[in-house]
Amino acid sequence: MAGVVKVALPPRDTNMFQMAYGYTSTILTGMMKTFGIFWVQITGKEKSATYEWPEQPATYSDRFKGKHFLTRRDDGQVRCTACFLCATACPAECIHIVAGQHPTNEIEKFPVRFEIDILRCVFCGFCEEACPVDAIRLGPEYAMSGLAGDKWIYTKDYLADRGELHGGITSVKVENEKHFTTDHNPHGDALIATDAPHMRHH
Amino acid sequence: MSEASKGSQETVTFTLNDREITVPKGTTVMAAARQQDVYIPHFCWHPGLKIAGVCRFCLVKVDNRPKLEIACNLTATPGMKVSSVLPEVKEAHKWALEFHLVNHPLDCPICDQAGECKLQDYYMEVGKYKSEMDRPKVLKPKALEIGSELVLDTERCILCDRCVRFEEEVTKTGALGIFNRGDRAVIGTYPDKKIEHNYQDNLVDICPVGAFTSRDFRFKQRVWFLKEKPAVCPGCSTGCHVDVHAKPQVRTYFRLKPRESEVNGFWMCDKGRKTYKHMNQEQRLRFPLLTEASGVRRRSTVDEALAALAATMLKADKSEVALLVSAAYTCEEYAAFFEFFVRSLGVTNVYQWREPTEDREAFDGLLYRGDHNPNTRGLSEALKAVGLPGEVKDGFEALLRQAPKLVIALGPELAFQFPSLPAQLSRLEQLPFVSLWTIDGAAVSHVGLKHLLPMKGYAEKRGRFLNFAGKVGELADPFPAGSEDARDVVEVVAALSEILAHSL
Amino acid sequence: MAQDKPRIILRTAGLANPRALKTYIEHAEGYTAIKKVLGGAMTREQLIEEVKASGLRGRGGAGFPTGLKWTFVPQSDTGPKYLICNNDESEPGTFKDREICTVNPHQVIEGMVLAAFAIRASKGYIYTRWEFQAEIGYLVEAIKEAYAAGFLGKNILGSGFDFDLDHYTGAGAYICGEETGLISSLEGKKGQPKVKPPFPAVSGYLGRPTIVNNTETLANVPWIVNHGAKEFRQYGTEKSPGSKLFSISGALVRPGVYEVPLGYPFERLIQEECGGYLPGRSLQALIPGGASAPLLTPEEVQGLTLDYEAMAARNTMLGSGAIMIIDDRQVLAELLKVTIEFFAHESCGQCTPCREGTGWLNNIMDGVLDGTAKPGNVELMRTVAKHMGGKTICALSDACAMPVTSYVQKFSGSLQAYLAQATAAGGHVK
Repeated sequence: MAGVVKVALPPRDTNMFQMAYGYTSTILTGMMKTFGIFWVQITGKEKSATYEWPEQPATYSDRFKGKHFLTRRDDGQVRCTACFLCATACPAECIHIVAGQHPTNEIEKFPVRFEIDILRCVFCGFCEEACPVDAIRLGPEYAMSGLAGDKWIYTKDYLADRGELHGGITSVKVENEKHFTTDHNPHGDALIATDAPHMRHH
Repeated sequence: MSEASKGSQETVTFTLNDREITVPKGTTVMAAARQQDVYIPHFCWHPGLKIAGVCRFCLVKVDNRPKLEIACNLTATPGMKVSSVLPEVKEAHKWALEFHLVNHPLDCPICDQAGECKLQDYYMEVGKYKSEMDRPKVLKPKALEIGSELVLDTERCILCDRCVRFEEEVTKTGALGIFNRGDRAVIGTYPDKKIEHNYQDNLVDICPVGAFTSRDFRFKQRVWFLKEKPAVCPGCSTGCHVDVHAKPQVRTYFRLKPRESEVNGFWMCDKGRKTYKHMNQEQRLRFPLLTEASGVRRRSTVDEALAALAATMLKADKSEVALLVSAAYTCEEYAAFFEFFVRSLGVTNVYQWREPTEDREAFDGLLYRGDHNPNTRGLSEALKAVGLPGEVKDGFEALLRQAPKLVIALGPELAFQFPSLPAQLSRLEQLPFVSLWTIDGAAVSHVGLKHLLPMKGYAEKRGRFLNFAGKVGELADPFPAGSEDARDVVEVVAALSEILAHSL
Repeated sequence: MAQDKPRIILRTAGLANPRALKTYIEHAEGYTAIKKVLGGAMTREQLIEEVKASGLRGRGGAGFPTGLKWTFVPQSDTGPKYLICNNDESEPGTFKDREICTVNPHQVIEGMVLAAFAIRASKGYIYTRWEFQAEIGYLVEAIKEAYAAGFLGKNILGSGFDFDLDHYTGAGAYICGEETGLISSLEGKKGQPKVKPPFPAVSGYLGRPTIVNNTETLANVPWIVNHGAKEFRQYGTEKSPGSKLFSISGALVRPGVYEVPLGYPFERLIQEECGGYLPGRSLQALIPGGASAPLLTPEEVQGLTLDYEAMAARNTMLGSGAIMIIDDRQVLAELLKVTIEFFAHESCGQCTPCREGTGWLNNIMDGVLDGTAKPGNVELMRTVAKHMGGKTICALSDACAMPVTSYVQKFSGSLQAYLAQATAAGGHVK
């Protein structure tokens, strides 16, 4: 019949030589395949799909959700106003914030402590979505390894200030605050900056 | 409430949202709706204050009148047909909300009212989700310290006038007014004057938005994380009905709010608002402390502490024992305590632990009384029930004169209401053995007290208080205790009697 | 319809010493009406009936039948009652009450005595806006003269009727022209209107029955008492009887205050009394009844007569009778801005739709003038105005909303053009 593939099956009453042939032939077919690919790749005729990491950088999408970071205002203070929306949205309940009165009335509320228990975090990105002021984002850093005794609670300073952030990322300022724009995107274009330097891969 | 029972009053029957309602003559549609649990959205109306009619939000359609009317100032007439749900009314509500939001700052992330803000609630309920206001907003002064308990943000204020009316009608201090006209109008006090009375936090309660916020609660927690349970304030003998707000997962209490009742109406005083701090981890006695015979003081388990107490009790004769009882405990706790110590064990030396400087008859005219105990009446009744006098004059001094070998003391719950407490505790340290059952963590600093047992706070136990007039205040829905080792008197007495029963 | 010029109110105009009591008595039947009524020739009930029959309507702007208003006072209440003369003439474009105070204040006083007698009020106040410093002087002087002559005070003319009259000066707020706003101000509080019900006739000044009447309305009463309702009705129309003072301003040869019968043809007033338009000017729009009246296009002005019904038929109002000629040289956008700014400034701030609505409209107009507004904002003003109306304690919100609606409806082209120009000239477009 058409569409029927003949599979090599050992016949019921085969002798030893026929069985040996059946097994070895299939093994050789497989090995030929393997050596064929090996040959093609080692002579450079075909490119391997494997990345030579870490010499070759791994490319992640711009939307990859890695290590969190807190953004800053123009004047260097953290953007976060300790509204607790991220802590509320977090399904893992891993964000712990202590709010405090800021010395200047212009800012009024700021996080005295902002901690993420990174072992609990599931990197869902809900915190980034929930934040109304673009204060927290999940960046492209994926390498988070450490020993048992290390600190697995990321504090505010680490989140806003670590070396990899090169001095800190500024959030996009929202001019002329409105309840809502009439655009389809409720945040307007202003809040999502896709060309911020930190959004590119390592 | 009480109106329904006044059968002799004239009544009026009218229709609200296709439902027939009968109310006493003179009732407004808004009050009638509240009684029937029909919710007409509003800002400026408050059942405890006079009608203002300024927010123009509670619009309803009446019969075939061309203009919508406000429900708060509309007296029900027989046969009237009122609707708060017709499309025309809903459209009016949408725009009423739009006008309220036109100059309102986008402060939700930093505003404490988030989660219990009427503007937020109505925005979700009533729409209009797309605001058409795209001009710069009016700016006004923010974060003003206008009273010891208050922070005022005039930009968030929607000028509902509730605070002004409260100052005029309830506290009769008239400290607030509206200055300027039009959209420059601001709430404020007169220059260099602050609000200075004992009822400031009620302004925070009645303010529908985050214009008045509590300094004590400022930025501490988001309200949607809080659980609330009903209780009775232990601050004084008025016994205002309250709701205690806490986050049980972190064993922390955050604030109190008044609960409407006949005892306190809609209000409570600021002193009472502080009666949550003593139950938080930093301030409370979290575990029992024993002083060994060697003089070493150590933390112990509850079982060890009770065993030690039982052992001391067995060594003492009942005439050498004294009970020092403050009026902060429930009737059930007193009943159990006296049943055990007085009836079963025959102890007769019972002294009331009172603050010597108190003026028990003092009353500020509104709610706060000079008797800073929630259950003076209950204690007195409990004493009489076991054949003891309701009160012995100068109980504490009398106890010291007796110089008992063993004192079992039910300590006051609220140290801040008892200024003489540290001095009294120091004097108790002179006695040979005092077992102090208390929630007050400061007692630890009195190292001469050989036996400290941690008690539950009032919000953590079941029971009843009797207020100054004998009215019952029910503690019916407790939070789990903030400390694993905390017990109430009933539990301790039950455990003690078990231990003693076994050893006899 | 009698077309000849009535002289009901400004009877001492043009005479030497027009304000003096002597002049009033000699040339204007001074105080003969109260002699008639207090002397017994007319009872209280007859007085009210006469005023009702005359069809006199409130001349302050609302146009409510005066005699009917007086009957709202519950006579079973024997406590003190008050009569207040609303002399807080603040509607932009109106200056007729000022004219009465300048020319014939005694007629107001006599009218007040009569009205007080009708409602059994024992105390009266004339509430004048603070800006009328000279006119306040005239009134105070006239009150003094009346007291001296025995026309005010205890037992007036031996009739047993007591009526004390005081003058009270406002502090410069348009909202105190609203009757409950006036009452609040008189009570020493912030001049904020009160929620109605209860109505002032039942519970007004200090919680007592109070009637508030406009100056011109009260000035009509002595003439009606002396000449009768029928003769009053010789002037004016069936539904708008009597005469009215019109304060007419703008690019005319002789702007001013004119007393003409209601129903008078508008065009005739312009050409005869006012001498026509200034050379080279023509009508761009007409504001017929003060800044709060919707304006009319020149087409709508064709055949206009000055009475309540003709105005209502054109969806506008006679109001206080303040006619403002907007000639072709006026820039409508700037005129609208001035109008809205007035209401935003004067809003007392109690009711949310008015407080926020007037502010919002003012904000948008700022944007129109400096070019920062969006093109859709002009139409948005109409939507905002629509929702400001009919929902507030007093009519200031409607007073702002109605003209805005008419400007956008009838002259939106002009407004849009202005906005486009301003935007191109330098404001940034959002």
